[in-house]
Formats: sequence, structure tokens, C-alpha cells
Amino acid sequence: MALPQGVIDFLNESARSNGAEQPGASDDLFQMGVLDSFALVDFVTVLEQETGISVPDGDVNPANFQSIEQIERYVESRR
Amino acid sequence: MKAFITGTGKFLPERSVSNEEIAERLGLQPEQIFKSSGIRSRRWAEAGTTTSSLAAEALRSALEDARLAAEDVDYLLFGTMTPDRFIPGSSPSVQRALGLREIPCLDIRATCCNALYALQVGKALVTSGAARRVAVCLAEIQSAWLDLSPQSGTISMLFGDGASSFIVSDEAQTGALEILDVHLATDGAYVDDLGIRCPGTEFGAKGAGQEGAGPADYFARMNGQSVILQASRKIVAACQSVLTRNSLTPADVRWMVPHQANANLLAQVARGLRFPTDRDGVVTVLEDTGNTSSASMGIALDTLRRQERVRAEDYLLLPAFGAGFTWGAGLCRATA
Repeated sequence: MALPQGVIDFLNESARSNGAEQPGASDDLFQMGVLDSFALVDFVTVLEQETGISVPDGDVNPANFQSIEQIERYVESRR
Repeated sequence: MKAFITGTGKFLPERSVSNEEIAERLGLQPEQIFKSSGIRSRRWAEAGTTTSSLAAEALRSALEDARLAAEDVDYLLFGTMTPDRFIPGSSPSVQRALGLREIPCLDIRATCCNALYALQVGKALVTSGAARRVAVCLAEIQSAWLDLSPQSGTISMLFGDGASSFIVSDEAQTGALEILDVHLATDGAYVDDLGIRCPGTEFGAKGAGQEGAGPADYFARMNGQSVILQASRKIVAACQSVLTRNSLTPADVRWMVPHQANANLLAQVARGLRFPTDRDGVVTVLEDTGNTSSASMGIALDTLRRQERVRAEDYLLLPAFGAGFTWGAGLCRATA
């Protein structure tokens, strides 16, 4: 499943403000500088709002949000 | 019955240690420390200084502010992670130093949430009638426990020494803060993500290198990413919880007086709460004090009160997060 446009927009804006390329599906968002620990917290909030899923605090770690593909798999697992 | 904060005090060691002074030893740049934490300098006590001696100075100031004498205190709470001794707690040393009566003296070990735990316990003691005037001391000498090497640079750059104090009383007086509510929570799954392992029964009690413990187990350790991710969400949730159950919203709060952990974390929390940013309402002191753990919220509160910026009916929100993990938020309202 594709992520909602609002989620993609957040990642693209974060990439732009950090001087990074727009991320592809399998790109490592943390290595690219699109996300860091603080940005991840904001990203998870957007993800919850846009997809309707609830992300437990224990799941808020980079391993679940390393790439767009991984995020898609995570969202699917929470539906 | 109601409970009020009727006096506050603080005490900071004289020696100020700048980022420039420690950056090279920590393998960092001075500006890098400031950007990632909001800290430019911290106070470090001279070798041989005891934590209780800082606490005693802060309590003297709080008693004076509350217009009380030492003999008026009928309960002492002392929150610290860096006690004078392994056993007993440090509160008896404060009791002796100030000449308090033979009252109950209780140490609290809830890390950076010590101020909130003391607020909750102090309120319970006063509203139950078990005590009328509870003295709370919050103090740390953390400089003695820091590994000043690049291996621990990103944690050792944060911490400073200092003390704060407040008086919880059953009688309101001019400028008092009514303690309305305190919300606290803990998740022990994160017990190893922030703290100092030794001495203790889990990793060895006798000395570095013995019984499986290594030298690093005697220094502060932190999984910074885990702390940021969990603190950002849990603090916001705690604030929302304490506000909601008191029929308030962040817009009703005039002052946020947080545990002074890291400027970026405080900004994240304010953003997460949608706390109004146009009125200078987040009280921060860590630029010149560093993170003083137990003492930090009280230092910020005392600084705010002595600036005489708090007005009657102002709501104050007091969020904190610490090793454990444990976290929470307190809510106070200024009286006339």
C-alpha cells in the first residue's frame, strides 16, 4: 500500500530543509539526513494523523521507520 | 485541605565551566555542544563538596522566602541521584546542618523526576494532615561521576551541579502556588537506557572490575536516541493528561517550568503540546546551569518567582522525564 500524500510531503519537506535529496522507496531516511531523533517524533505524529494508526511508544524507534518501504510495512502491520 | 508552595530557593556552585573548557576532552566542538543541547556553561562544585551542603544552602534560601524558621519544618524530603553516601540517605545530613527538629527525613531516588515526586508526596503529607510544613531539597553533584572522554562526550557535556528547594505548606501566603495535581508514570523496560549501573547488586557492589562490572559501569550511560524519542512523546502525553483531568488546555497555561534536560527537547515538547510560543512562557535556565537533574525544575521555578513575573491565577505546568524511565507533569496555580 502507498503512504498518504501528507506523509510523503512531510518527508520531502524534511529532506528539503536538511539539504537532502528527495527519498526513494528504499533509501535510508536516517543516513540521508531526512529524519533524526527529533524529526522522527514529529513524523510519527503526522503518520498517526494521516493513516489513522496508533504507534505505541515502544515502537517509536528508527528500525521501524528506516525507509519508505519499511514505513509502509509497519503501517500495514498496525491496521 | 489544600497544599501550597510558599517558598523557593536555589544554590549553585561558584565555578562556571564553559563548553570551551571541556569540548576538546570530550571530542566535541563548543558550538556543537550548544547546538545539540542549548548549554553554554555549567557549574561544577569543587572536589570534596557534598551534595547535602548544596541542598542545605538552597533550603536556607527557601525558608527565608517562606518566612519560616528551621524549627517550623516538620518533614524533610530530599531528592538526589548523587548522595553523600551509599547508606544512609542524604536527608539526615541536611537535618543536622540546618538544625531541624527530630522529624522524618526521606530520600527520594526518582532521578530527574524527583521534584515531581516530592511535590506529590509533599502535597499528600500536607493534605492528609501528616505534616504542615514540608521542606523539599533537590540537589546534585554530578561532575564527580562524569567520564570526561570522547567515549562519553555527548552525555558528559550535559550535566552540572546545583541545588534547589521549596516549602510545601498547608497555609497560603502572598505569592504562593497552590499544588493542584501531579501525574506520574514509569516504564521499567527502559531501565538500562539511562543511568549508572554501579555500585549495586545487579552488576557488582565491591569495586570497578569486580564481579563482572567494568569501569564504564560506574559512569553515566545514556541511549540518547531512546531518551529523545520516549521523552518527547511521554512528556506531552503526561501534560495532556494532567491538563485534561483539570479541564484545562495548553492555552490556559501561562508558564511551563520543565525539568531542564535539553533545549531541543523542551522545544519539541512545546511544539507537541502546541504551547503558545508568543509570550516567553517556557522557563529555561540550562544555558548557564546545564542539566542539573533533580535540582533543575526547582532552579527554574525559583528563578521565575524571583523575577516576579508570576501573576495571581496564572497556571504553571511542570513536566519532567528521567531515568527509569519515569515521567510526569505537575500543575500549580498562583494565588493572590
